[in-house]
Amino acid sequence: MNRRTFLRSSLLRSSLLGSSALAGCAIDRRPRLNIFNWSDYISPDTIPRFEREFGCRVRYAIYESNEEMLARVMSGNSGWDVVFPTDYLVKPMLANALLAELHRPALPNLVNLDPAFQTPKWDPELRWSVPYMVTAAGIAYNRKLVPPPTAWADLWSPSLRGRITMLDDPFDVMGACLKKLGRSINSNDPADLKAAQREAIGQKPLLRAYLNAEVRDQLVSGDVLAAQMWNTTAQQAMAASPAIGFVYPREGYAVYPDCMVILRESKHQELAQQFLNFMLRPEIAAANAVAARTATTNLAARAHLPEEFRKNETLFPPAPILALGEWAETLDPGTQRLRDRLWTEIKSA
Amino acid sequence: MKWLSIYAVCAYLFLHVPLLILSAFSFNSSRFTVWEGFSLRWYQSAFADKQLAEATLNSLIIAVVATLIATVAGSLCAYGLWKRNAPVLAGSLYLSLVTPEIVTGISLLALYQFLFRFLHFQLGMYTVILSHVAFSIAYVVIVVMARLRTVDGSLEEAALDLGANEWQAFRYVTLPAILPGVVSAALLAFTVSFDDYVITSLVAGVDSETLPMVIYAIARRGVNPMVNAISALIVFGLGALILISTRLKSGSAA
Amino acid sequence: MNRLRMSRLRTWFLAPAWAITLVLFLAPLGIVLVYSALTRGAYGGFSEPWTLESYTRLMDSLYLVILLRSFWIAAASTVGCLLLGFPLALFIARSGRRKNLYLSLVILPFWTSFLVRTYAWMFLLRDTGLINATLQKLGLIHDPLPLLYNDGAVIIGLVYSYLPFMVLPLYATLERLDKSLLEAAADLGARPWQAMWRVVVPLCAPGIRAGSVLVFIPCLGAYLTPDLLGGGKSVMVGNLIQNQFTSARDWPFGSALSLVLMGIVMALLFGLLRRDSEGGLL
Repeated sequence: MNRRTFLRSSLLRSSLLGSSALAGCAIDRRPRLNIFNWSDYISPDTIPRFEREFGCRVRYAIYESNEEMLARVMSGNSGWDVVFPTDYLVKPMLANALLAELHRPALPNLVNLDPAFQTPKWDPELRWSVPYMVTAAGIAYNRKLVPPPTAWADLWSPSLRGRITMLDDPFDVMGACLKKLGRSINSNDPADLKAAQREAIGQKPLLRAYLNAEVRDQLVSGDVLAAQMWNTTAQQAMAASPAIGFVYPREGYAVYPDCMVILRESKHQELAQQFLNFMLRPEIAAANAVAARTATTNLAARAHLPEEFRKNETLFPPAPILALGEWAETLDPGTQRLRDRLWTEIKSA
Repeated sequence: MKWLSIYAVCAYLFLHVPLLILSAFSFNSSRFTVWEGFSLRWYQSAFADKQLAEATLNSLIIAVVATLIATVAGSLCAYGLWKRNAPVLAGSLYLSLVTPEIVTGISLLALYQFLFRFLHFQLGMYTVILSHVAFSIAYVVIVVMARLRTVDGSLEEAALDLGANEWQAFRYVTLPAILPGVVSAALLAFTVSFDDYVITSLVAGVDSETLPMVIYAIARRGVNPMVNAISALIVFGLGALILISTRLKSGSAA
Repeated sequence: MNRLRMSRLRTWFLAPAWAITLVLFLAPLGIVLVYSALTRGAYGGFSEPWTLESYTRLMDSLYLVILLRSFWIAAASTVGCLLLGFPLALFIARSGRRKNLYLSLVILPFWTSFLVRTYAWMFLLRDTGLINATLQKLGLIHDPLPLLYNDGAVIIGLVYSYLPFMVLPLYATLERLDKSLLEAAADLGARPWQAMWRVVVPLCAPGIRAGSVLVFIPCLGAYLTPDLLGGGKSVMVGNLIQNQFTSARDWPFGSALSLVLMGIVMALLFGLLRRDSEGGLL
């Protein structure tokens, strides 16, 4: 059903049911798109605008981790249409037959993407995924901490005992340790990984805890002075409190591009593609980036960003810092297993 | 008895003070746990949140239906097991009790995934309700059973000797004796159902988000006073209901 | 005659529970059993060949240490619930017309989300939380005590979360207790605590057992509390299993771990019940 016939039929229906507003409400037969996204990752106006323009309803819900999302859609009959996995999950989701192939002609706005994201490693032809926004892991700190941290190694400082947290995520913690040692975050070399594990175990007595987003208000209150944190989360905390700063460690850091994908189970493939294309519009992408306080992959959107947002160095770091970032990749099964074991050992150390 | 009362007061303080403090902070105007002044903004945002209202309704429907099914099936089962041994069933119920939540959730998800190959349905309210019945029935059996153990079986035999049939003996002799146990069991089943996050989050579909799932989503982003506001509403709302119902009961008794 | 009718009725009484158990518990468990004997797929999930590798991987001191730790935390939490719950249940059972109200007051906090209850403790125990702030104001301590993110916090959180599971079955048995037995004991010269220990405790043994099992098991498999109150600094077996199904995406190993855990707990329970002449809980 195209948009015009849809509008006509919905008009007809609303005139038939017009006599009773309640009935009209109860039998809303507009197609419904079910979207499952990270929290704080979209502009509040985006969904209502899409609903108005395409004459549909949207069920929008949020999650806090890739694992949470994956667990929900794993059954292949969850009812969700569009989800937002991080790059390294695209391959596993594809291998588990969860993804629908994208129809390129339905996505003319793909040209708006930054060329760096037109042929990403995890999906070179963008057959299954459309890059959305990019986050990275760095160090958030309370400005009471003088001098402020500049490197991962600063999170090993004995004077901060009990005032440091790391993310509760194996890839992030190992990544920081690997970077501290000057290795790649995606390393599959057992010797590197063992060395990184020793670093993590050595750091553990200094740690208050392994925490994700919950650490934010402990940073604000000063319970925690320095924390490994995603830049998006840090940005949101910085907006709420001037006490917090954020730095990209000089040894390098992990970069996580998040993607939009359509699930194979989706019964509204066409509408879902329209949604993806809608999200790729420069002004929509810009509004989303501003609301989420995250760097967008949409090059055309940059022109729509407010000046002070574009100058924000946490979001748009200068070239030398940008060059320190390394994209997260899907790990091979053997490495994944070794890393999982090392992580268990770190946790039970 | 005096010492017991003092002890009980301490225990009640332990139970309620943490939540009272949490509730107090629902009136904090700051998002963070630093007191900045009195405000009702978190209540406003909680009431304005449609998703929250829908999730609360879902949770209530799921908990009531699951509790009804589990309590009836579980109580009958406990009674059946009290009369005669059924080692396989009893063992299975045991096993369902010792199954870690995450395993119950994953195995149910695997079951639904398997069934979807043959039946075209989606994860939704009924998969959640079925899962809740599955994990709460053993709780019901165990609580009713503990009560049955204190019941004198010879009373029922006497009833049978006096000409009652088996059903009548159950209905008029044993059931009244175990009713407090059945009520406790239903309360327990309702509590575990209303509260479950781990299993529900795995088997819930798009339209069956429950209150714990929404709270989890909010709370994972840090301490959010909206969660405090919601929990305050639940605790005081239910508290008032319980107080009124006990008043009414004692009033009608007097 | 009676016997015959009794057995027919019994079949019908057990039928609903049978159906639920068979379809919603045994069948899914069978699927988990099948998973545990498969191999992890390249990107999660599972694939052939069939193997017992997931089980042989478990023969490892690393996993044994985690298991023992979980047992210790679950046992400590159970004892905590019992110490707190028994006198409370006794108090409720003896409070006459008010007992429904008092019972409701036990259950009330548990209608808020489990997560809210855990957060309430994070609220109290953190450095700038109420306890530390009060102690500092009274001048008893200078620097805040590290109350959060350790085993003690985990145990408090678990006791707080599972207390009604202990109180409800205890109350169910205590409420039935014949008060004249206590009076008889007193008449025979027993002190109150003697009467309690020699008369009340043995008589409500079924309730104690039921409550302990209901608390111990979920504590053993807990994973949200150790994460939130323990700060993710130590793993319990629940965390280990959960990691397999989420970040490690190793379903076969997670399934094997779960089945082994269930087996160990079952063995323990049967050991406990063998000594019990009544035949145990069920």
